[in-house]
Formats: sequence, structure tokens, C-alpha cells
Amino acid sequence: MTPILQVRGVTKRFGGLTANNDISFDVAEGEILSVIGPNGAGKSTLFKLIASFLKTTSGEVLYKGTRISNLAPHRVARMGVVRTFQETTIFRSMTVRENIVVAHHLRSRASLLGFFLGTLQARKDEAEFGASADEIIGFLGLDAIRDEMASNLPQGHLRALGMAIGLATDPKVLLLDEPFAGMNHDETMRMVALVRRLRDERGITVLLVEHDMPAVMKISDRIVVINFGQKIAEGTPAEIQSNEKVIEAYLGSEDAAIGM
Amino acid sequence: MNTQKLLGIGAFVIAVYVAVPLAIALSGRWDFYYTLTSVALLSVASAGVWLTFYIGRINIGQGAYALAGGYVSAILVTTAGVSFWLTLPLAGVFCAALSVLIGLPILRLRGVYFAMVTLVLTEVARLTALALPVTNGAKGITSIPLPGEVSILGLTLIPDFATLGNPKLAFYFMAVTLMVICYACLWRIVNSRLGHLCRSLQQNEELAASIGVNTAYLRVLAYSISSFFGGIAGAMFVAISQSIYPSSFQVADSVNFMLNCFLGGLGYVFGPMLGTLLLYFGWDLLFTTGRYQLLIYSSLMIALMLVLPNGLLSLFDRKGGRK
Amino acid sequence: MEQILANGLYLGAQYALIALGLTLIFSLMNVLNFAHGQMYVLGGFVTYTVVAQFGLPFIVGLVASAVVLAVVGAGVERFLFRPVVARSKREESTMLLAAGIAFFLDAVILLLFGEKQRGVPKIVNGVFNWDFRLVMPYDRILIGVLAIAMIAGFIALMQYTRAGRAMRALAQDRMAAQLMGVDVERYSMLGFALGAMLAGLVGGLLVTITGVNLGMGGPTSIKAFLMIMIGGAGVISGAIAGGFILGMMESIGLTLLAAYGDITYLVIFASLMVFLAFRPQGLMGKPWG
Repeated sequence: MTPILQVRGVTKRFGGLTANNDISFDVAEGEILSVIGPNGAGKSTLFKLIASFLKTTSGEVLYKGTRISNLAPHRVARMGVVRTFQETTIFRSMTVRENIVVAHHLRSRASLLGFFLGTLQARKDEAEFGASADEIIGFLGLDAIRDEMASNLPQGHLRALGMAIGLATDPKVLLLDEPFAGMNHDETMRMVALVRRLRDERGITVLLVEHDMPAVMKISDRIVVINFGQKIAEGTPAEIQSNEKVIEAYLGSEDAAIGM
Repeated sequence: MNTQKLLGIGAFVIAVYVAVPLAIALSGRWDFYYTLTSVALLSVASAGVWLTFYIGRINIGQGAYALAGGYVSAILVTTAGVSFWLTLPLAGVFCAALSVLIGLPILRLRGVYFAMVTLVLTEVARLTALALPVTNGAKGITSIPLPGEVSILGLTLIPDFATLGNPKLAFYFMAVTLMVICYACLWRIVNSRLGHLCRSLQQNEELAASIGVNTAYLRVLAYSISSFFGGIAGAMFVAISQSIYPSSFQVADSVNFMLNCFLGGLGYVFGPMLGTLLLYFGWDLLFTTGRYQLLIYSSLMIALMLVLPNGLLSLFDRKGGRK
Repeated sequence: MEQILANGLYLGAQYALIALGLTLIFSLMNVLNFAHGQMYVLGGFVTYTVVAQFGLPFIVGLVASAVVLAVVGAGVERFLFRPVVARSKREESTMLLAAGIAFFLDAVILLLFGEKQRGVPKIVNGVFNWDFRLVMPYDRILIGVLAIAMIAGFIALMQYTRAGRAMRALAQDRMAAQLMGVDVERYSMLGFALGAMLAGLVGGLLVTITGVNLGMGGPTSIKAFLMIMIGGAGVISGAIAGGFILGMMESIGLTLLAAYGDITYLVIFASLMVFLAFRPQGLMGKPWG
């Protein structure tokens, strides 16, 4: 079976600086794959390249065999590869439910003119989005804060909201940007369970970038390690844990953060 | 829609169509018709500016489209003999098309950068009107005939304005009707999916793109609707004053359109209407101060910014916060 | 050809000075100073008053313009922008304040100096003439040279003095500058004063050649915006490049396009839009967002 996502020789240079150098790996459908690496290793850049928020210098990203790199980001999202952001990236002056409803944009069948005129299809769409938003709110356990203004939410809820926005687009592949950052142990464990449910109950392939090693080890089917913009290892958590190159990379740069 | 809103809209419609003409007839202040007609038309142009604010862009270029719309109507009426009523939508469409061309490159700019380009645009429109042969340079286009009759199958829908005993009243009704239609459209835009998407754009363009919104398209769409409003407002102004000059809409007008929105509040659809009314009447009231008019006006503006740097309606925000 | 280049240089030097002031204020405060053109006009009127009314030498008028505008600039920063910037949530607030100040200065100029065009007698007589290939009055040459000297002086100030370095640090990263111990408020005020002073100086220089009138404020601001968009906002080299480029384009346009009527600025704007489509941050500006 072809992998759902293929990263092939992706390279990104900013001026003289090479942020990503010839990175390749595949993601199988229904897999949870983590990209890890020390700070400044080029993880975020890689993520932006996959979601096509940045243009690659060379190399390409394929989704189900179709090239998605260098397309407009909204077209990539339309195909089913959706990126969630860190917690500051939400629609601040909307309520939680409004955030999620508006994120259903991709699923609308009526045109914007249709919505303006309030056609039958538009009303059907709106009703459907509302129902789906409520379902997502239930799935993520956000009922208590559904009408809260997003700018008033505490961090933990913002993270969940970011994920809800991602889910509303009905993604096939969800890119999670540091979902565990700043969480305590209990919160992290809840999030780990949630990410599993994304895959198990909704069949979403998950690609995540993360620092938190114990969580990554727990959640991932496979792990890709990058350092100085290069892929230095790829494998199951057990393989990665015993990989000398990986240990060296981490010890060399931030031994405190490793926690394993 | 709940009954309270319906009542409010009903009251507003009765006020502008019945109460205002009655009050003017009773008080004998016929000059108010001209003032209120201007307010209605300026508020249409301001509504357009408000929509660009709604996608997170500061638009100081509405004067350019008002001028362009005015010239399109004036030229079509005087040289091609087209009925004014047909030139009205044509002026809007022309401006919308023009704004697509201009918007495609400049809407990629944000914040003060976008504001700067649009400001320059107003000045360029004036210079263009001065330079082109078709606009007749600084002399402008004058003695434009009043709007003619519109009839379907012999049934007169709109009478010929030249035959009316009181064209002031007719112009007032025409401007107010245009305003009501424009604000109804704006209200509908804001409360439909289009408006939600505009808000998503205003709050976070990256996130909007990642939920699949074609941000470039949406920006251009909102900007072209905005320019359409500017164009029809300009065209109707020209019909009323029966003349247009390159200086009919200038940088100061563009700044005022922005001020109207800001004063009325950027979060409320009817904000620009309120803002236009307040500013226009404020300016008119200061007319009695003669040469100190601009000084007092600008001092008040500066004082307002010092006291309420977040706009008039931030007063209500504070009240809301205390609840 | 030589004539076009010389005219372009002469215009460009003045434009660059105006743009420098605007870009300095922008980079320090993130404020777009709509009143910049009005400050320029005010500078012209101060020189006019000192030279034509009081009969004092031109250089005194120029110094007076510099001083008055520096004081106005410092006051505007201290009492208007500083409190508004501190309390406002959106960037349009400062824009509106700047627009209010532009109207206010217009009103003040109207009340103090009236609507008439004002000028002072030529400071140097005679015309430089090189075989009619290049004809330029001496006073224009003098003003051009003075303007270029001032640009050089400004660059030296920013490069080699303590205050200049502090302002550059501030422009780059306000927070970091504060942490490094730069007195942010003091240098913001100084920068604003300096920016306004540059506008006033150009006004003082040009009053000897073109004169000043009330209506010049707005169009001057707009030209300054054009320049910093060409060069890139908030960058000193960009302001200078933008100024000279606009001066050159205007000079070329006025000569070549004269046959087609006054469409120079239309052409300049159209080319600017095409340019911005490819390079939204201008020539030297940093990419953003």
C-alpha cells in the first residue's frame, strides 16, 4: 500500500542557512508518527513545509501519491492535510463554538453567494456544521466552555480548541505542533489518550512535532529524529531509545530536556 | 431573527422614511435634507471601508473609488446618454473590477503598509482625473442632467427628477433607500458564512488558510464589495450635485471614511452609519465657528484619541466588562 | 540626459531627507506620521517668517525651522503619541491620532500664515550652464548640496554617536533595547524630534526655491509614503534609496511623459504596484508576517 504521506528529499534554505537538508520519510495510513529533535533542529520548518506554509527549496511532499508541496496552504488543507497550531493561534474574538463552526468551511457545499442569500443548501450546511461542531465539542469534552470567548480561555483549553479547529476540517492527516508543550504529567497523559482516540475512533493519521520525550515514546508508532536539519534516525520508540546518534544529539545540546 | 431586532429595524425604517420628512416639514429646515442626503451617501462609502476593516485591513483609499464611480456615471450620462439608473450599478461594477486589479497585489500587504498604499491611491485617482482627456481635467464635468424616468410597461416606477417640484426630497429618499439596501446587504454578509470567514481572516490569516479558506480570494472579494459601495456612493453624489471635479473626493475624504468607521465602532455593522452622522453633524455645527472650524475639529479629534484611544464604542466595552 | 539626471538628483536629495524623517519615526515608534507633510510646510513658513518678515539671514531661518520643528516633534511624541501608544489596543489608533495632528497643523498654519503662497528672495543669483546640456540655477545647486550634506550628517549621527546607536537599537528591537538599558522614552522623543526637524529643514530649504503654501502638506506626506514603500519602511538606506528613486522617476517622467499630459504619478503608482506584487517589503525592507 502506498504511504499516505511521503516526504522526499525535502530541503529548505533561508539565505545561507539550511534549515532542512534532504529529509525523507514515509507516513503510513493510520499511523502516529512523531518528529523529534533538539531545539532549532528544524522541526517547525519541516512542519510548515509539509503543510505548504513554506515553499521547499528542493524535494517534494506527496499525499496519496499527489504532490502537495508548494501548493497554496488552503488547497493542501482542502485535500485533507491539516496543520494545528500552538495555542496562540485561534480566532481570539470568537466563542469556542464559533471557532469550531467557522472551521467547517471546507465542508460547505453551498457557495458564498448561497450563504449570503440563505439558500436551502446553505441552511442545510449551517445545520450540519452546528451538529458536527457539537459532536466535536463532546468528543473533546469542551461542553462547559462552549460559549466562552476564546481569548478568555486558559492554556490547556486553548490547545484542545486548536485541535477542535483541526478536526472540524475533517482531516485525513493531522499535523500537531507540540501538543504537550507546557503541560503537567496528568494533562499530558490525557492528551496522549486523546491523540490515540483521534486515530482509533476517527481514523486520522497523526504526525506530531514534540519535545516531551516520555510522551512521544508512549504515543508514537514510529519516530523520526532530526538534528541540524538532517534526519539522523528513524524507527520504533524502542529502536530510537537505543540509537547512539540520537542520544549523542540530545546529550550534546540539551541533556536536561531529554528526561529518558 | 427575534422580534426585538425586527422592531428596531421597523422603527429605523419609519424614522428615516416618515419621521424625518415630517420633522423637517414641521420645522421648515429644508436644508437638513441636503445634510441628511450627504450623510446617507457618505455612510454607504464608509460601509465599504468598514468591510475592509472587517478583514483586518485599514483602507484609506475609498475616496479613489467614490471618484472613479462618480466619473463613470458622469461620463456615461453626458457622453453616451445612458440612463443614470443604469450607470449606478455600472459605476459600482467598474469600481469592483478596478479594485480586483489593484487589490491583487496590494492586499498582500498588512497594517500600515496597506494603509499607506491606499492613501496614495486616493491621490493617484485625483491626478488621473486631472490628466485623462475623458474626465476633462480640472474643469471637471458639469451640468449633468438629473436622473430620468424609469418605467416598466408604461408604469412609472421612478419619475423624471427634472419634473419634480421638490427634488431635494426625492434625492433624500433615493439616498436613504440606497443606504438601507447597502446596510441590509452588509448586515447579511456579516451574519452569513462570508462574514464569519472575514472575521477569521481578520483575527488570524494563517489559521484561516489552514482551515481551508482561500485567503487571497476572500480578501479580494471583500475589497471589491467595499469598492462597489464606494463607486455607487460616488455616482449618486454626482447625480445630486450634477457635477464632478478631480477634487470632489480627496485624501481628506478617504481619511474621513475611515474616521466614520472608527468613531462608530469597528465591531458593529451600523457603526459607520452612526459615525458618519456624528462626524458630519459635528463638522456642520462647527461651521458657525468660521475660521476656527478645522482647529476645533482637529483638537476634539486629538482629545478623543487621548481620552478614548480605542474608539467611542470602547465605552460600552468597559460597561460590558463590569457586568 | 544630463539635465534629467541632475534634476533627479536635486529632487531626490530633498525627498530622501523627508523620507528619512518619516522612516525614523516609523522605525522607532511604529507610528506612521501622517502629519509629516504638514511639518514640512510649517518648517517652510518658519524660515519664511524669519527671512522675509524679520529680514534675518537665510541660515538663521533654517536654524529656526529646525529648532521649532524639533520642539513640535518632541511635544507631539511626549504628550500625544506616548500616552495613546501606551493605552491603545490597535495600531489604527495611532494612525487616527496622526491624522488628527495633520488636520490640527493645517489649521494652525492656516490661522498663523494664511492661505497664500509664500517665498523668500533667491539666496544666490545666476545660472550654471554647461552648453545648454545642463542648465541649473546656482541656488538649486546650493540647496541640493546642502540636502546631501544633511543626509551625510544624519547617517554619521546614526552611525557614530551614542544617541544614534541607541536609536538604531530601539528600531531593531524595542524590548531588547530596553533590557540593554537604553532609555526608551528619551530616545523615542529624541527620534521624533529629529524626524520632525528633518521635515522642517527641507521645508526651510525649499522655501527659497518653490515657496510654500498650505496645500502642500498632504501631497508631501503622500510622496514620503511612496518613498518608504519603494525603499522599505523603517530602513534608513531604504529611505534614501526611495527618495532618490522617486526623484529620478519624477524627473524622467516629467520629461518623457510630458507629451501625454501629467500622468507621471499615475505611471509611478502603477509601477509601484507591480513592484510591490513581487517585493511587498520594498527594496531594503525586512520581510514580515
